Amino acid sequence: MHGGVDILLVEDNANDAELTLRALKQRNLANQVHVCRDGAEAIDFFSGGAGPVPKVVLLDLKLPKVDGLEVLRRLKQDGRTKSIPVVVLTSSREEPDIERAYALGANSYIVKPVDFEAFARAVSDVGLYWVLLNHPPQ
Amino acid sequence: MRQSIQRKLPLFVTTLLLAVTIALLTIGYGEVRQASRALSDKRLQLADSVLAALLQTSQQRARITTLAKDSAIVAFLRSGGQRGRAQALAAMRRITNDTVTNASLELRDFSGRLLLRTGRFTLADSVLVSPGTDSARFGPLLRRDTLLYFGVAAASGHAEHDGGIVQQVARLQLNDRTRRTLTGLAGGDVSLLFGDAAGDPWTDFATIVPTPPERVRTSATAMNYDRGETKRGIAKAVLGTPWMVVAELPSRVILAPARGYLLSMAPIAALIVLVGALAAWWGSRRITTPLVGVTHAAEAIASGDLEQRVPAGGDDELGRLARSFNTMAEQVSRSHHQLEAQVAQRTQALEGINAELESFSYSVSHDLRAPLRAIHGFARILLEDHNAQLEPEAQRLLGVIDQNTRRMGQLIDDLLAFSRLGRTEIVTRPVDMKELTQLVADEIQRGEAGRNESLEIRIDPLPPARGDRGLLRQVMSNLLQNAAKFTRDRAKARIEVGSQPDAGQTAYYVRDNGAGFDARYADKLFGVFQRLHSTDQFDGTGVGLAIVKRIVQRHGGRVWADGKVDEGATFYFTLPGEER
Repeated sequence: MHGGVDILLVEDNANDAELTLRALKQRNLANQVHVCRDGAEAIDFFSGGAGPVPKVVLLDLKLPKVDGLEVLRRLKQDGRTKSIPVVVLTSSREEPDIERAYALGANSYIVKPVDFEAFARAVSDVGLYWVLLNHPPQ
Repeated sequence: MRQSIQRKLPLFVTTLLLAVTIALLTIGYGEVRQASRALSDKRLQLADSVLAALLQTSQQRARITTLAKDSAIVAFLRSGGQRGRAQALAAMRRITNDTVTNASLELRDFSGRLLLRTGRFTLADSVLVSPGTDSARFGPLLRRDTLLYFGVAAASGHAEHDGGIVQQVARLQLNDRTRRTLTGLAGGDVSLLFGDAAGDPWTDFATIVPTPPERVRTSATAMNYDRGETKRGIAKAVLGTPWMVVAELPSRVILAPARGYLLSMAPIAALIVLVGALAAWWGSRRITTPLVGVTHAAEAIASGDLEQRVPAGGDDELGRLARSFNTMAEQVSRSHHQLEAQVAQRTQALEGINAELESFSYSVSHDLRAPLRAIHGFARILLEDHNAQLEPEAQRLLGVIDQNTRRMGQLIDDLLAFSRLGRTEIVTRPVDMKELTQLVADEIQRGEAGRNESLEIRIDPLPPARGDRGLLRQVMSNLLQNAAKFTRDRAKARIEVGSQPDAGQTAYYVRDNGAGFDARYADKLFGVFQRLHSTDQFDGTGVGLAIVKRIVQRHGGRVWADGKVDEGATFYFTLPGEER
């Protein structure tokens, strides 16, 4: 049902999603992005089993229905998805969130800056790194 | 060893009883002894008197006096021994025949010349009697081997040449019967001695005995002396004779009642002491056992076992003490439980509030930043993508939006950092303040590299502190950033970091020659969002110094500042020093 997907963006905030996509677009990375609007959708995305495997998941923590940490836990528990890099991209800079995210196996944790330039730079750097530079297992 | 009333009280009571008993015994013994002495003295005096009276009025005296008046004797002596010799001799024989004690009887003239004698015994010195003397006179005692003699003489006639002396030498009858008779007369244990007042010889009417000491003989009162054993005696002169009698009693006899008193009283006294000691021990136990119980319970309660109680005794003070103690323990326990319950309740409430606060911060952190990022992001997109369609005024207004969203983001970040400070745990370690300050100063210098004027940061040697290194670094960083910020318009910006002693602690300070502040508002410096300068002059959210204050306070230190407008400012903070 999906085409090729490089990046799975799990983000409930439409504005943030739009700003993220714009930042990715500037690096020509926006074509292969799939957006999930809540945690349940993200879990559904992987539950089919036969779907494409994204090169990176950009995961917000505060999500409707199923929250980001739960999504992260399920991804990292499932043998088929646990090797997919997950970058937590959230507004929370609370220490407990950071600790729990890493404990559950997050590959990176990035606090969304308020400043748009900084935000755009962070998102595009993440996209560049994980989509173009990183080599996942085949 | 522990001090214990249980041991001390019986000991004290027993000692007291012992002392009192011994004192009573001693006094009683003394009294009895004195009384029996007085009684003995009376007996001795009485015996003395009786014996002296007996001796004084002895038969010999009467006999000789009678003989001296005998007509035949008178006639013979008047004639100077010339006439009536046979008649005189007959008269003398009449007397001497009926007495066994007679040794000799002699007639002499007043000069002592012997005229007539019956018997062989004669005295070396006659008893001289003056003419005209009415009654007979006794002479001193004389000892011949184991026998005692004495002379008794009477005057016959009234003139030197008209009479003479009748003198008898009598043997004192010494035998055990006499002695026993006399002793029996004086009442048993009393010994009666008889002798010359001047000295030897002395007798107890059975044998010759050693002369009593002179001090006994010359004393009118009872004396103690040693004669084989300790004796007490009283001497009495026999009137009209050179003789003396001494009645004596062994001290052991005199003191027998006192000794008897002691012997009968000592077991009673011992019994009293024993019973007293036992009673004191029992009483002390009765009093102290509940006290020991209360003490142990109090100690247990003091060490945290609030459920300790003591057995409530009788209705006396101890019982009341035990009951009061239990009531008190009950109250302590109840208030303790109430307090604990309250603390638990409050803690729960506080935890709830804390959790709420945390979720509030979380929400602020997440939900406030997201719309802000959208505002900023879309304003920037407008400026970047649609710049050509925008009038200059619209561009300026978007710039204002841009600036304010940035500032708001900074405010939210600072506020979150500040609120987090209250919750983070402080891990104290020794901190090298000099090294830490140098690190921060280098960072600041790099950050200020773009400024036009030179910035000099001088760091004095700083004593080490004890604290959370990360937090102390933030304190130094905030203070130095502040100093750097407010010296930005100075031609020669200068920041000094140093320390000085302050009331037993170390006060670290950061001094600058920057814009300074009005000392009247010094107390506002450390408040959250408090600013003494407009944002046009100096940027910042007004949280930096509030963070400094909170960190220092959480370390147990103080912060304060002084300064003058345009003359710079100094910020001080104290930390508990490094323990040595």
